[in-house]
Amino acid sequence: MNRQDLKTIIYAEKKKDETNKYKHKICVCCGAGCISSGSEEVMKKLQEEIKTRGLENEVEVIPTGCMGPCNQGPLMKFLPDYNIYQKVDCSNISTIVQSQLIEKKPIEDLLLFADSREKPFIDARDDPYFKKQLKIALKNCGHINPERIEDYLVHNGYQALDKVLFEMSPEEVIAEIKQSRIRGRGGAGYPAGLKWETVYKYVNDQKYVICNGDEGDPGAFMDRSVLEGNPHRVLEGMAIAGYAIGANKGYAYIRGEYPLAIKRFELAIKQSRKLGLLGNNILGTTFSFDVEVRIGAGAFVCGEETALIASIEGKRGTPRPRPPFPAESGLWGKPTLINNVETFAAISPIINNGGEWYSEIGTPKSAGTKVFALAGKINYAGLIEVPMGTTLREIVFDIGGGIQNGEEFKAAQTGGPSGGCIPAEHLDVKMDYESLISLGSIMGSGGLIIMDKSSDMVDVARFFMEFCMDESCGKCVPCRVGTRMMHDLLQKICDNKATQIDLDRLEELAVYVKETSLCGLGGSAPNPLLSTLRHFRQEYENRILQHD
Amino acid sequence: MNCYMNTISIIIDDQKLETDPGKTILEVCRENGIDILTMCHLKGVLDIGACRLCLVEIEGVNKLLSACTTKVAANMIVRTNTDRIKKYQRITTELFFAERNHVCAVCVANGKCELQDLGYKVGLDHIRYPHLFPQCEVDTSHPWYVMDHNRCIMCTRCVRVCNEVEGAHNWDVMNRGHQVRIISDFNSPWGESETCTSCGKCLHACPTGAIWPKAIVQGQLQKNPGMINELVEKRKMKL
Repeated sequence: MNRQDLKTIIYAEKKKDETNKYKHKICVCCGAGCISSGSEEVMKKLQEEIKTRGLENEVEVIPTGCMGPCNQGPLMKFLPDYNIYQKVDCSNISTIVQSQLIEKKPIEDLLLFADSREKPFIDARDDPYFKKQLKIALKNCGHINPERIEDYLVHNGYQALDKVLFEMSPEEVIAEIKQSRIRGRGGAGYPAGLKWETVYKYVNDQKYVICNGDEGDPGAFMDRSVLEGNPHRVLEGMAIAGYAIGANKGYAYIRGEYPLAIKRFELAIKQSRKLGLLGNNILGTTFSFDVEVRIGAGAFVCGEETALIASIEGKRGTPRPRPPFPAESGLWGKPTLINNVETFAAISPIINNGGEWYSEIGTPKSAGTKVFALAGKINYAGLIEVPMGTTLREIVFDIGGGIQNGEEFKAAQTGGPSGGCIPAEHLDVKMDYESLISLGSIMGSGGLIIMDKSSDMVDVARFFMEFCMDESCGKCVPCRVGTRMMHDLLQKICDNKATQIDLDRLEELAVYVKETSLCGLGGSAPNPLLSTLRHFRQEYENRILQHD
Repeated sequence: MNCYMNTISIIIDDQKLETDPGKTILEVCRENGIDILTMCHLKGVLDIGACRLCLVEIEGVNKLLSACTTKVAANMIVRTNTDRIKKYQRITTELFFAERNHVCAVCVANGKCELQDLGYKVGLDHIRYPHLFPQCEVDTSHPWYVMDHNRCIMCTRCVRVCNEVEGAHNWDVMNRGHQVRIISDFNSPWGESETCTSCGKCLHACPTGAIWPKAIVQGQLQKNPGMINELVEKRKMKL
């Protein structure tokens, strides 16, 4: 297929939309969260209901990716009015359809947040939950059917790829990404443009692009939702990266615990290949690029780039020392670009709207938006996307609806097992890379676990240490034995059997493991411990046996 | 011999050294008589930087890097013996001893053990961490050799020598974290291995009393790890 053919397809699809016979569009969230609360049955029942009422020529029902407030699911959205219904079940579908489509009156009691707000917003876009957010990576999630490439095409899909192939040189693409100042969304926050440029500069006949979808932090599900809700966006980002650095092959490494994401991503690859948006001579140009999926087998350490590469090569997934970095010697010893799912999802908007546009969002050092997975003792748990620099308070109280049962906020855990806890006195911290580091935590991949007074911080540290101990690959001594020793010491403190000497040993080990471990897993494993010690030291000391 | 055009100068522990580029920091240190502690390093097989004993400080690099896997670069300033490094070497050694069941007095490798030597070198007089005392198997199924997991420190020298030098790949690693174990084939008794050639290289590669020949008793073990590199070098010669 060449460029003209693509335009013809998009034109035909848009025409179909314009001359649409459908007056209403009903989006039913079919992300993994809503599916687990029964959205597939809801959708089936809804389709039956539409049919029995003879409305099938007026109403289009589409399954979509994640809409955001996951713990209010299953969610159902009526377009064009943006009436969102929460906790829909098969028994109230008939009532909703009757009122919404026949009487043209939304049922306020069933709308999103009706049970927790004084008065729900009829148009969900007015709700502060959505108003405070800015969706770039998640833009089409919840609006389009992720299993239809045509849905993505009419929403500007593959336009960025078209643009780079016909109007931009690889150098210009890299310059655009650099100008956007986007930083890797996997956790470390390395400037993506710089990484692309480094790989570009290594001359080699064979280079690779890898998409890291081995999201493993407890409580984090950003990558899963992007892959489920808009897989084509990630594919497009990978293809653009391939063009920019001179790679013709990409691998998407997705963890095996995400069957739906894998299914939809593989379907997306198939559809793109069929339309010639992947494969040889994309859109009639000399650029060829194809993507394969590799499924992770459940090891957290495989999210570390060198371990991930070993795993793709079919080896035991263990990290190796860097340098050399993957940019120089990565997959099968070739220059390799490895970025996170969310980073790739942000590429096409940057190309479409320009790097400058993106760089103006967020803070000067942390540009753009960040997707967070809100979890824990928060009223509206789910997936949000906010500009960098939004304060933790805004996220917890304006978007997240505050703490469950009106309890008091105690701490927010960011960055999963590599991150730390932010106490209540720092609620006004701006969520960007530097501010979080200055508080002893990290941005990480975007997991945000909210805790109230019932959380015991020593136990939180013990939990994350247990996670790291179990997930250590066992290659290097500090991580293999050090995490076990630290875990045992933390357990001792939790059991009220520890003394001051144990606490001193624990602190010494924490610094040792942090500085000597081979990879980022061990290097950051002491972070939850160190940050809780920094902000909640009293809780540790209260449990230490006093010897006079 | 020296082709000055191709040498670079680096500073290790305040000593200015001329060396060929492409060498690792460890190689340069050893050539110049600078002692660096190692455990997973074995000349003749690929380095993996796993034991973290050879960590060095490099000026301008905010992380400690393993000398065995880091190549020298022009004007690099390296420190191998700071207080911080010495402290970490001691902790690593303590963790080695605390991890499994290292009882020198009844070990075949007593007096010939690299782990024991390491203990002496770092001045280990006691271990501050609780011993984990894991339940480990002793695999005596092989007709000539014994694999005693109690003494294994997971340096994987046996795995690499079997894979890279002998080419048999009998040994590999299973499980994660502190549960890791060396396995024969797909975790079957060594004696039933379909890949082991009984060449005995792993025995010489092993730094401790984890792999040893059956016909010996306590303290009598003779190992020759240097043989591995000699073998590699001899194989490179075209006869």
